[in-house]
Amino acid sequence: MENGYLERVLATCRIKLTQDEFNKISKDIDEILGYFDTISETDCDSYDPAFQPITIPPKLRDDKADAFGDVPGLLKNSKIYRFYVVGPKV
Amino acid sequence: MKIGLEVHTALPTHSKLFCACSTEAAEPNTAICPVCMGFPGSKPVLNRNALEISLRVSAALHCSIIKNSYFIRKVYFYPDLPKSYQITQLEGSVGHGGYVDIGSKKIRIRRVQLEEDPARIIRSEDYSLLDFNRSGVPLNEIVTEPDIASEEELRSFVSELRSILYYVGIDIDKEVKIDLNISLGEERVEVKNVTGIKNLIDAARFEKKRQSDLLQSGKPIVKETRSYSAESLSTVSSREKESDEEYGFIFDPDLSFYPTSGIALGKPVIASEIASSYGKYSGTVKELIMLDRDSLRLLEYGSKNSDIKNVINAIELLKRHRGTSMPNEGFGEMLKYMDSGLLPNEDAISALMQGKPVDLAADVIDAKDIDDEINRLISERPQLVSEYKANKKAFNFIVGMILKKHRVDPKYVSERLSAIIGQA
Amino acid sequence: MKCDIKSFLDAEKPDDYQERLKEEIGALNAKFHMLTAAVNSIGSGFPFSVKDNICVKGVEASASSRILSGYVPPFNATAIERLPKESFAFIGKTKMDEFGLGTFGINCDDHPLNPFDEKRVTGGSSAGSAAATAVIKHHVSIAESTGGSISCPASFCGVVGFTPTYGAVSRYGLIDYANSLDKIGIMSRSAGNIKYVFDLIRGEDPRDSTSVSTEISNRHSKNLIVIDQLMDGIDQRILKSFDRFLSKLQSLGYSIEHRSIPFIEKSIPTYYIISMAEASTNLAKYTGFKYGHKITDFSKGYNDFFSDARDSFGMEAKRRVVLGTFVRSAGLKGRYYEKALRLRSMFIEKLSETLSAGLIISPTMPSLAPKIKDAGSLDPIATYSMDSITIPPNLCGFPHISFPFDYIDGMPVGAQAVSGHFNDYSVIDFAGEWEEQFEYKFNYNAGAL
Repeated sequence: MENGYLERVLATCRIKLTQDEFNKISKDIDEILGYFDTISETDCDSYDPAFQPITIPPKLRDDKADAFGDVPGLLKNSKIYRFYVVGPKV
Repeated sequence: MKIGLEVHTALPTHSKLFCACSTEAAEPNTAICPVCMGFPGSKPVLNRNALEISLRVSAALHCSIIKNSYFIRKVYFYPDLPKSYQITQLEGSVGHGGYVDIGSKKIRIRRVQLEEDPARIIRSEDYSLLDFNRSGVPLNEIVTEPDIASEEELRSFVSELRSILYYVGIDIDKEVKIDLNISLGEERVEVKNVTGIKNLIDAARFEKKRQSDLLQSGKPIVKETRSYSAESLSTVSSREKESDEEYGFIFDPDLSFYPTSGIALGKPVIASEIASSYGKYSGTVKELIMLDRDSLRLLEYGSKNSDIKNVINAIELLKRHRGTSMPNEGFGEMLKYMDSGLLPNEDAISALMQGKPVDLAADVIDAKDIDDEINRLISERPQLVSEYKANKKAFNFIVGMILKKHRVDPKYVSERLSAIIGQA
Repeated sequence: MKCDIKSFLDAEKPDDYQERLKEEIGALNAKFHMLTAAVNSIGSGFPFSVKDNICVKGVEASASSRILSGYVPPFNATAIERLPKESFAFIGKTKMDEFGLGTFGINCDDHPLNPFDEKRVTGGSSAGSAAATAVIKHHVSIAESTGGSISCPASFCGVVGFTPTYGAVSRYGLIDYANSLDKIGIMSRSAGNIKYVFDLIRGEDPRDSTSVSTEISNRHSKNLIVIDQLMDGIDQRILKSFDRFLSKLQSLGYSIEHRSIPFIEKSIPTYYIISMAEASTNLAKYTGFKYGHKITDFSKGYNDFFSDARDSFGMEAKRRVVLGTFVRSAGLKGRYYEKALRLRSMFIEKLSETLSAGLIISPTMPSLAPKIKDAGSLDPIATYSMDSITIPPNLCGFPHISFPFDYIDGMPVGAQAVSGHFNDYSVIDFAGEWEEQFEYKFNYNAGAL
C-alpha cells in the first residue's frame, strides 16, 4: 500500500490505530496484498462473477404493513430520550 | 450554466422497502423492526410494489428498463444511517438513459434508482436524536444529466417531473429531497439535501449569482459540497470531505437479482405529451391535466364526440364547482347541453354527478340568452366600457344584474363580458 | 444411523438430571471456557448450544466482540425458532473468534481450550460449539461456518461438524461476517443427530432472501475422490493415517480416485478477498450507540464517537476491515474483489464437475490442533493457509462434513467429505456409515445417562 494510503483507508472506515498497531498492520497488509495479488496469475475472464455460490431465485414481499412485535425490545439496546434514540452530535 | 439534479422522492407504498414496517407512523420510533434499525442478524426482503412503482417511474421517464435489477451497498458513516451502508443501486438501477421533454429541449435522465431512506435526525447542541420510522422508506432517486441551462428550464423540468410522477402516484410536494449540481465555470458545486421545489429554485438562483460574482471578480470556484438554508436564502460550504464515496460499492449479497420482465407496466401517462396533441388548445389543456387525472379522464372521454372548446369549457366549469369527479356518463350529458349552446348551472352539475335527471327549465340556460342580456345592458349604459378600463370592478354591476335573472356561474358571466367588450 | 435425540427424550431420567447437568457443564465451562455465560436453568429437552453470532431472543449476542457486548436481540434466528421448544433445551451461547474472524478460536476474551489437551486450541471460529460438543454427551450445537469455522474446530476437538449447502438453512438471525459465504450448520457427536436437526432447521424462509426451497438429495456414491493438490503441506503423520483410512474405506466397498484441480490453492486468497470485502461492509454498522451503547459522551461529534467505539474491535477485525475496504475501493475493485468473484465461478464449475463423480475426501486440517502459544505467534498468511482444505467447499457453498477418523498422540484427526450443491444427505450418510464401525473417543461425558 502506498504511503499515506493506509491512513486514508483507516479514516474511511473509522478505525484508529496506535503507532505500534499501525506498524504491525501495515507490514501485515503489504504481505497479505502480495498474497492476494497471486490471483492475477489465473485467467478467469470468461466467467461471470459469482456474487453468491448458488443461483438465488428472486424473493419479493407483498406490500403489506405488519408491526414488529417487540419495539421496546429494540429500544432497550440504545439510550432513549423522549421516544428518540440518542446518537452522537453531528 | 449547467445544472444536474438528483431528485429523491418517497414511493407511495404501505410498507418499507426491505421490511414490513408501516411507512405511515406518527409517534417517533414506533414503526421500526430489526431490519430498518439495522440490527445484527436481520436481513432485507424486497417490497414488490416498490420495485413495480420504480419501473413505472422509469418507463414514464422514457428510460430503458434493466432486465435484472440488483442492489449495492454504499458505505458511509453518519448517525442516521443504521447499517452505515445504504442499500441502493447504480449499474443495477431499474431505469437507465431516459429523458424529460420540457418543450424547448429534452433533459436527459441518467438513471432511476431504488434505495432506502435513512432515519430522521434532529440536531441538538450536544447530541442528536433519531427517529427510525423513516429509516427504510422506499425512495426513487432520479438522476439527470447536467442539461438544465437556466432557471426557466429548471422550472419547466420540475413542473414536467411533478406531473409525470403525479400520474405514477407520487406526490413530489409531499416529500422531495434534491441534490443540486450547478456549475457556471469549470468546477462543479453540489448543494446537498435541498427540500422542496421552492428551495430548489432559490438555491439555484443564489448559486448562480454567487458563482457568477466569483467569476466576474476573477476568483476561483471551488469544487465542494454546500448546503442550503431557507432562512438566509443562501448556500454555505458543508466542509465535508467527498472522498468517502470513492470507496467500495459492492453487490448486496443479502439480496439477489430481480427480473423485470414479468412486471406489467401499463402505458405511462405524460400529460404534456397528451396536451400537445390538442393543437392551439394544448396550452389550456396542459393547465387542466398536468396535475389532475379526473380532468384528463373527462378530456379523453369528451373529446371523442364533442367540440374540444366545449370540452375545455365544461372541465373548467366543473373545476370551479369542484365537480371533476363527475362520472363519464354525466359528463357526456353535460357536453350534449353545451354542444347545443346551453349552460348547466350548479344544480344541473350536481344532478349530473349523481346521475339524476336535470330540470331543463330551471337548471340549464341558453348561453345565447346571457350574451343577449350582456349586449342589452351595455347598450343601455355605454359609459360602462370606459369605466371598465379605469376600474374592472365596474363590471360587478352587470354581473349582479345577470345573476338576478339567471342562475349561472358568475365567472362565466365575467368571461363573456370581457369577450364582448373586447370586441366592442 | 445413530441418533440419540429421540432415545434421550424417551429415556427415564433421574429427577435431579437437569440440576446435575447444569453443575457438570458449569464445572467444565470453568475449565474450558466454551460458553459465554454461566448456565442458568436447563429445560427437559435435548440440550443444545448456539454459537454466539446466532440470535436467541432475549439472550445477549455479542459474536464474542467487545463492540457488541450488551446487545440483546429481541428476536430468534429462524434456525432457533424452528427447534421445537418442547424437545430442545437451550444451555447457552458458545464462544467464537470475534465475528467469526479466525482459524484457531483464540480471537476473543477467555477463549475456549481444547478438551483433549487444554494447552491446545479448539480451532475456530465455532470454538465453543466444538468444545461443548466434546464435553457434553447428549448435545447438539447450532454453529456457523464462513470459510471452515465448523470443519476446523470439529476436527481439532474430535466431533462431527456439518456445513450445509449455502442457502439451505436460513441466515435470518445470524450476525453477518460475509453474507455470500455464511452458513448455519450443526455439530454433534453423531451424523444421525445432525441429520435430525438439519431436517428441522432447513428450508426456505420468507425473512432471508438468500434461503432457498431446493430439495435436498442423497445421490450417494461409493466413489471417493482425493484432490492431490489439497494434500500439499499436510503433516506427514496425518497423511500416513489418512492413507490407512482410505484403505479401510476401500475394504468397506468404496473406490478411491485421484484427481487434480488446477489453481485450487488460489481459492484461499479468493476466499479472503471476498470475505474481507463483505465483512468490511457488515462491520461498518458497529458505531457504538445502537446495539448496547458503550460510549456515553454523545457531544464529541460523530466521527470521533464512531472511531472511539470502533477501537474495541480486536486486531484481526481491524485488519480485515482495512483490507476489505481496500480490496473493494474504486480503483482496485477489478483487480481484487471482482476478479475473486469470477474465480469463485470458475471453482464452482470445476468442483461441481468433480463432485458429480463422487465425494471429495481429505483430512480436514493440515495439522493436529496446534499449541495455543504456537497458534498465536503465526503470521496472518500462515494462519490463513491453515484453511486450505476447508476453504474450497466453503467458498463454493458445497455441503461438507468433518468427523474423526483417527487419534494421534491422544489428539483427534478429522476427515472432511464434500458433496455437490444440495446433495447434503450424501455427506451426512457417509459419516453415518463410518460411525457404524469406528468409535469416537471423548474425555468428558457431561450429562451421560
